[in-house]
Amino acid sequence: MSQEHEHGLPPKSSVSRWFLTTNHKDIGVLYLITALFFLVFGGVLALLFRLELISSGADLLGSMGYNQAVSTHGLLMVFWFISPFAFGFANYIVPLQIGADDLAFPRLNALSYWLYLFSGILMGVSFFQGTTFAGGWTMYAPLNTPAYIPGEGLGATSVVLALIMFTAAVTLGSVNFLTTMYRMRAEGLRMRDIPIFSLSINLTVWMMLFAFAALLAALMILASDHILGTTYFQYSIDGTTMATDADNPGASLLWAHLFWFFGHPEVYIVFFPALGVMAECFQTFTGRRLVGRKWFIISMVLVALQSFVVWMHHMFLTGINLPIKTIFMATTIGISLPFDLMVFSLIYTMAKGRVRFTTPFLFSLGALILFIIGGITGVFLGAIVLDYQFRGTYWVVAHFHYVMVAGATALFGGLYYWYPKITGKMYNETLGKIQFGVYFLGFNLLYFPMFIAWETPRRVFVYPDGLQIWHSMATAGGFILGASFLIMFYNLFMSLWRGEDVGPNPWEYATSAEWAVSSPPPLENFPGVPSYATGKLEFLDDETVTERTERAPGAAAHGHAATDGGTATDGGAVTARAAATATAMEPAHETAGEEHASHASFWPFLVSLGGFIAFLGLSGVRTGSVFYLSLAAVGGVATFGSLVGMTREPFHAPEMAIAERWPFERVEKMKLGMWTFLASDIVLFGAFIGSYAFVRVAYGWTAWHHDLIPAEHVTMPGLINTYLLLTSSFLVVLAMVAAERESKRGTVAALVGTFALGVGFLINKGLEWQHLFHISTEAFPNGWGLSTNIASSTFYLTTGLHGAHVTIGLIICAYMTIRAWNGAYQGDDRAIEYFGLYWHFVDIVWLFLFPLFYIL
Amino acid sequence: MDWKGYTVIYVVLFAFATAQAVVEFAGLVDSAYWAAFALIMVLSVIKAVGVAAYYQHLRWEPRAVTYLVLGGTVAALALTGAAAYSIL
Ligand code: HEM
Ligand SMILES: [Cu+2]
Repeated sequence: MSQEHEHGLPPKSSVSRWFLTTNHKDIGVLYLITALFFLVFGGVLALLFRLELISSGADLLGSMGYNQAVSTHGLLMVFWFISPFAFGFANYIVPLQIGADDLAFPRLNALSYWLYLFSGILMGVSFFQGTTFAGGWTMYAPLNTPAYIPGEGLGATSVVLALIMFTAAVTLGSVNFLTTMYRMRAEGLRMRDIPIFSLSINLTVWMMLFAFAALLAALMILASDHILGTTYFQYSIDGTTMATDADNPGASLLWAHLFWFFGHPEVYIVFFPALGVMAECFQTFTGRRLVGRKWFIISMVLVALQSFVVWMHHMFLTGINLPIKTIFMATTIGISLPFDLMVFSLIYTMAKGRVRFTTPFLFSLGALILFIIGGITGVFLGAIVLDYQFRGTYWVVAHFHYVMVAGATALFGGLYYWYPKITGKMYNETLGKIQFGVYFLGFNLLYFPMFIAWETPRRVFVYPDGLQIWHSMATAGGFILGASFLIMFYNLFMSLWRGEDVGPNPWEYATSAEWAVSSPPPLENFPGVPSYATGKLEFLDDETVTERTERAPGAAAHGHAATDGGTATDGGAVTARAAATATAMEPAHETAGEEHASHASFWPFLVSLGGFIAFLGLSGVRTGSVFYLSLAAVGGVATFGSLVGMTREPFHAPEMAIAERWPFERVEKMKLGMWTFLASDIVLFGAFIGSYAFVRVAYGWTAWHHDLIPAEHVTMPGLINTYLLLTSSFLVVLAMVAAERESKRGTVAALVGTFALGVGFLINKGLEWQHLFHISTEAFPNGWGLSTNIASSTFYLTTGLHGAHVTIGLIICAYMTIRAWNGAYQGDDRAIEYFGLYWHFVDIVWLFLFPLFYIL
Repeated sequence: MDWKGYTVIYVVLFAFATAQAVVEFAGLVDSAYWAAFALIMVLSVIKAVGVAAYYQHLRWEPRAVTYLVLGGTVAALALTGAAAYSIL
């Protein structure tokens, strides 16, 4: 396996390596460094407003300056620092721990990283567009809409778009990690047996997959309110009360629901990787297996599930009804129970083992202590009556910093823990311990006084005089905490040169697989195919693998491929199938046995750069400025061109020859990736439809149709489009059947038919919209446009999102038609099948949009 | 499944879509709104299940794929249901 070492990549000392790489370890390092940069960015903002808070009043930053600093601090830390930092480790460590040579889709992984980086740059650019977003990290409506934002609000739009880009990165990452973990585990490695850090990442990405889809919906709607002029989050009141006289009474609660449906899982998304690191460090530095490991895992699974049913504890002071508040109080208290179990498990592990107080252990232990304080204060907030007092105060601020930054604390422990693995050098232990001391002191001095000064209203720069002493302490603590990072950066930087070289395993009791290979590990991770079949980690050589795959007919049926770079296995049907499969959606010159394919790709960078330019342009198109319009156009073309380039680039990442794949044994990786993506798309559309249902319920379900929708909006165009889509779905299936029978003419004809029907769908929709835009009736003298009312907004945006899905499908369909014309897919219909999965999904969505928007 | 099976599914889908529109044209939406609502949504659900089970081959995939899809669906329904309930 070790002939071609660098997979077409330049050496690490070359700058171009880092732009071209798709290797998970390189990308992990990129994530870590970038995330630390955003930590500094967000941290400096925090120090600024801590300075401001030395005394009451906004005499340093000014009121708008203060609001911007607080809001972007929150956004940067939650989105651009903490999870990406955790995913730096996840990228680096998870494949090693589960015995994979990389993630399932290496180029998508690179794409995730670049989208993340450019989203952060867009966030930075927003500061220079007048003002950036200033409405708090929770972005509550209606203060998140242009009408309520001082000035032009372009910076705020950029922030929304940056978040969309970030979310796209997260979604791709979730799909990638899930596919990897279910298709590429070393033989014999059951899900429950994978190291606890990887397990925590697995649960994290599950939560991400669904939660971020809801956030994406919220952000897309918000972006549409900003750019297209829909009115989801705005309302005007022409009577006396919001509930009866507003034209869109659901507006601000809708945001709260969408945001917190994402937001609560998000806090565990932040915390789970930290929990994983803590568990690893506790095991390694006590020399004991986690006590009650099974229950620890069950608790994590429970929390991951429950995290989706507690979100309304963030809405106790809104107008939601008492029964639902009570239910959510119960679920909130319920979710703290599994956490108790995990905490006790960690404590017992420590009690039963022999502790060695290394820096990573100190950080893990510190994290545990901080988390306990944060968790207990959270339970206070979960009680409705107490929350009536605490809501919107520094109690909440103190609570969530104790838990969130406890998570960060554990992750810094992880940085020390894996530093020798990643760099091959040992950090300076004394400096590490000193940093911990300073950090822990600074942390508590910063956040504990906030509990005492809890009556301070959050996000406000004035507070009662008597509280000044606590705020001064907090400010001092903030600077001490900040200073501790100087020690850390110094230590880690200097150790790159001065640190002692380490072997594979510098920690006596570390047992997970990343410690079984050299530090840093070679590009392909393992000296053979990892296997736990005998109960302990072994590396199988190529011959054994070949022998095994040939002997076991089951393996062939599963479509296992030859391993990467090694002597190709028998090269027969199995390999060809797998090779074609691996690239079914990125078709190019895939020949079986093509070895040492290059793993360098510039396209992920270019796609993201294009996206960045396009989004920057979009942030200003509503001004009609030529500058912004041309940015949007250039960026759009660049993104599209790069995506085409990426699709056409040969890239070969075959599936492992032997792997543990429960419960997706028979679902090869492209298909699993597609299904996972579709699952998140279900939540995206679900949240759009849910938003529609919500604002309609808020308005009055049945009055809606009568008040807000013109009689000209009739059923017929919808019905015709239903027929068109159903028929096109049918044709995709026929294309599959034809490809299976190796009828090139049939395949091409069916695909052309699909394409034509899809185009017909769009034309029909265009005509319908044109008509509605320009009606002139008594009720709607100026037509029924996007901004006319909340019903028109939901109609155009929801069906528009669907139309965008159709358009993307048509582009893929056109591409596949050309390939089919050139003879592709004959005898191997899988690429068509995967496209079909997407296309049928779009069809299914329409099956619900049609009745909801045309009949009912 | 061969093309004949797929065709049968197609015909059924087509018929159900038509039935939904017929419910509307027959005036049921105006006279008995919630009955019409239930009927139409049930038809949509059946169509969706049909497409997923046969055109997307969920019937023949490991159950885990179905659970994955159900997971997303349940999440979306939980959001919609609980949010709508919270303001009733
Ligand atoms: C262990 C049990 C926990 C309970 C019972 C709990 C409960 C709560 C409640 C009820 C609130 C809403 C307070 C309000 O706005 O009035 C809240 C806020 C918050 N919690 Fe927790 N929490 C817990 C753990 C965590 C964890 C582990 C994290 C993150 C790692 C976290 C992060 C947050 C954040 C960020 C907020 C503030 C949201 C905002 O900006 O308004 N919590 N928590
Ligand atoms: Cu919460």
